[in-house]
Formats: sequence, structure tokens, C-alpha cells
Amino acid sequence: MTLLPLTLGPLEASGYSLLRSGVRWLVADGQYCEAHQPIGYFNVSLEATGKVTGQPEFADEMELQVAIAPRIGGRLKLGDGLARGGYLSIRTIEEWRAGDVIGQLEMEETPEDERAGELRALMLAGRRMTALADVHTGLMPGWHSRTRGWWADGAEKPVTLLCQGVCDAVGVVSGSQTAFTEMFAMEQQATQMVYVPDHPIAPCAPILLDQITRTPSQFQAILEDAHAYFGGLSNAPTPNDWMFMGATLQALGSAPLKDNYPVFTPSGMQHLGAPQAVLMSLAVEPLAILRHKKLGYYMHVMRHHQAAAGPAVKSWLSQEFEVVKRPVEAIGKDYEALIDRLAKTSGTKVIALNRMSTSGHEDISSYMGFDAPLSATLSNVAAKEMNLVLDDIADTRRLDVIDIDAIGAELGGAEHLPDGIHQSGTLQTIARQAVLECLQDVRV
Amino acid sequence: MIFEVRLPLIMPQMSVATIECLYVEPGEAVKMGSKLADLRVDLSSAFAQECPPVSYYRIVAREKAFVRSISATPGDLLEVDAPFVLFSTEPEEPLDQPVTRPMRTTIAGIMHHDGMVSDQKL
Repeated sequence: MTLLPLTLGPLEASGYSLLRSGVRWLVADGQYCEAHQPIGYFNVSLEATGKVTGQPEFADEMELQVAIAPRIGGRLKLGDGLARGGYLSIRTIEEWRAGDVIGQLEMEETPEDERAGELRALMLAGRRMTALADVHTGLMPGWHSRTRGWWADGAEKPVTLLCQGVCDAVGVVSGSQTAFTEMFAMEQQATQMVYVPDHPIAPCAPILLDQITRTPSQFQAILEDAHAYFGGLSNAPTPNDWMFMGATLQALGSAPLKDNYPVFTPSGMQHLGAPQAVLMSLAVEPLAILRHKKLGYYMHVMRHHQAAAGPAVKSWLSQEFEVVKRPVEAIGKDYEALIDRLAKTSGTKVIALNRMSTSGHEDISSYMGFDAPLSATLSNVAAKEMNLVLDDIADTRRLDVIDIDAIGAELGGAEHLPDGIHQSGTLQTIARQAVLECLQDVRV
Repeated sequence: MIFEVRLPLIMPQMSVATIECLYVEPGEAVKMGSKLADLRVDLSSAFAQECPPVSYYRIVAREKAFVRSISATPGDLLEVDAPFVLFSTEPEEPLDQPVTRPMRTTIAGIMHHDGMVSDQKL
């Protein structure tokens, strides 16, 4: 039996020193740990070492953490005194020093790889929906308009995947702890995963297209129009109205597909451009969408999120927007327009999860009783037609389709996808692997 | 002959469903293909998810019958196996006799539509 010291690896951010809190363990002393399984994390901060011109790096990402994981499995002996407790495990109090020993791994034999004891680092950054959303416990805690996690060894440049989906995509990318830990464990190549929530505005194709084509003056017009509407109400909006509108305007004013990302890595600070790939969900595409009557922009708030709106916002949505029907062909055209736009600008590849198109909960012996067109009535027919449209687009454009329909059918939909969208852990693992395979051709 | 429609167990995880709309009234004749009711199944109580696993289903008649009584209205939450529509083979057949069997029906997943009692118009 041998004890392998577990040490922090190098992390550098040019122009800044990296500070860390005490460790917060995710495992117990003596617990067996799998390779690449995060065992603890630190809050970190970047302190400028000289004069900073302009906005400091990460100034808009108030959650900044580093999770650590051994490269090989074994039984853990956690270091004494590293979990400082209280605010010392929240506030950044010490410099990040490569080589600091944080524990040991009990193993049968000493591994030959001299870096075996150097912990892998999963860097995490969260942009809060509001700076008020400060929660001090857990990985990536709080309410964020964007979270991301990245990892790299040496001077590798991470490839970025942006997740703009709903539950079927979020679980695959963010994982069970919503901190990308499963993706981190599955993929050792340098990668960045970015997640933008599906609320309050759900990320269907016309919404994403609006975001990347909206000019600052168009956004200003949206702000002024909203101000005029809510300022002119006879009844004062409620707190729920204000919070919903704050988040809504925040989403209307952002364009995650055009974001750039600073990352600190073992070899220093890097600046990553627009994502190489975006993961979308066909399940979020509605057959009817709201369009602003005067300004023409789209709005799609999923039903369960509408409950968060106050009465003034509900009135705004029903009075200032019109319902636009979207037959399956229109959904396909929106996908094509988005893919074409991305191809001409950032080169971002679209990866889409298709829809489960059978439920096993039906016994249709006749289609009498179901109005034509069936794709507007029967959810499974709609799903099949949308899946076919997606396949047709993939024949002519740069689109990778992850066949959730086939994976679900293979595993058993009733057990692994009981409502057609919320997947089991097994299905998520398979879909996760498929997403990572889709990233291979965008790696340089 | 008297027969009935009970709330079906559409999926093993469900225990209740909401009547979203009813397409028939007492005294009405139905035939194969007649729409009877739309249901909403919400698995939130069985699954811990950040958004409710909601799906919609339609019950459609597969045989001729006369609607005799309806014991639910749109918006009602029914337990699985709760009877909510009673039928007879003849329009004036006495109802003081036992239910012979379940009504023959078809069930299929459907899209939400404006005729449903739950609001999704925004």
C-alpha cells in the first residue's frame, strides 16, 4: 500500500494573482474516489497585480470557483486544516500555489506517471442574474444568467460548447450538480461548457436569431417601449412583475452566441471567442410563438415559467404581443436561418437534440377523433415530423443531430424518458458522450 | 348495457390527471372516433424536476353509445380509475343496473390547445 500526495496544479492569470478560500470537501475522509470525480472546491478571486485599464477580467462573473479531482481512483485521506470553516472557506484568503498538498490517495502501487498526484482543475464562473443573488453554499450556487466551466492541461486552448436548450439538454451538459462535473469527468481534452438558462425567455430558434441580429438601438427601443407600457399602467406593477421584467430585459439585451470568454488556465490567461458549437433542443420549439406587435421581436415563455410573472407582465404579454402560428415547416426555416447566420458570422456549429416521438402510453387504433393536420394535434406525429425536418436540414447544412428518439427507444422510453423530455441518468450519459463526439470535428 | 370511462392509468408513474376539456354532454350519441375528453398528466409529484413533466392525452370512443351522465367538469383533478362518464347502448336504458364493462376507447398524446382549461395563451 502506498500513499500518493495530491497536489494543486498550476493556474495562472497574467496580470493577476489567484487567491483561494479554504477547501470545501465534496467527499468524506476515507471515501473511495473515482478518477476525475471532483472531491472538493475553492472559491477563488483574481487580484490585479498592476494597474488595470478598463473592466477587470471576470468582473461580471461574481461566482468564481475551482473544483479539484484526482487523475486516478483510490481511497482518500483528506488533509488537515485545509477546510478552514466559516467565512474562511468562502472568502479568498490564500494565494493559489501549485504543489500545495491537499491530501493523499491510498493505492496498491505507486503510479509511474509523475503527474499522477497533480489534481485536475475544473474552473467555474457564474454571471448572476442580479448581483443580489449571492448564495455561499455549494458549487455554482445562486441564480445565474450564465454559468460556465472549463478545463485544460498545459497550453491547450479549450473548445467551447454553449448549451441553449431546455431540460433535455441542460441535464446532459450541466449534470447532476449543475456544475459540468460529469462532462469534466468524461472529457479530458481542453473544453469549456457554457449554460444559459431557459428562463424567462426560452431559447427557441427565432429567439436566438433575434438575439444575434438585434442592434443596440433596437434594444434601446425595447427598453423604452417597456418603460412606456409599465409607466402608463393605472395599477402599480407588483414585485413579481419587476423581477420578471428585469430578467426578461436582461435576456433580451444579451446574445450568448456572440459572447467571448476569458479563462485562466495552467499556462495563463486565454481569451476565447464565440462558441465553436451550440447545443439546442428541438423540444423547445413551440407551434405558436408571441411576436411584439410594434417592434416585431419574438417572445417565448414556457408555461411553467409564466407563473413567475405578475399581473402587469401577463397583461403586457397578452396586449402587446400577437400569437404567430409556427407549422413544422416554419420551425425548419427558422433553424435554417439560424444555421446560415452562424455559418456566415462566428462559424458556430449547431448540434440539436431531436424529440422522443413514441411514448408507449398510446393505443391508437384509428385517427378519427384527431383533427388534421395530425402534426398540430398529436404530439408524437408532431415530434416525428419535426425530427424529419431536422434530418433534412442536416443533409444540406452544418447540423449534427443527436438522436434522442432512437436512444430513448433503445433504452425504453417508459423507464428512461417517461414524459418525453426528462431523461434518466443512463440516457443522459449516452447523450453526453454523443455531444462530446460532435465536438471532435471543431477541435483544432 | 351500461358501460363507463374511468380515468386510465396512462403511465405507471401517474396517480391523478386533470380534465382539460370534455367534448360530450349527457344524452349525446357517440360513435367510433368521437372525442370524449382531454387530460393533463403532471408527474411533478412523482419526479423531482425543475420543470413539471406535463403531457396531454385525448380519450376517443371506439364504439357507439349514448352518454348518460358525466361526473366531472373541466379543471377537475381525478384519481386513476375514477369513473367520470357513464354510457348506455340505448338512449333511455335504465341506469339502475350494474356497469357491464369499460367503454372501448383509444388514448393518444396530444398538443396543448386553446380549448383546454389550463392557460397557455401567453
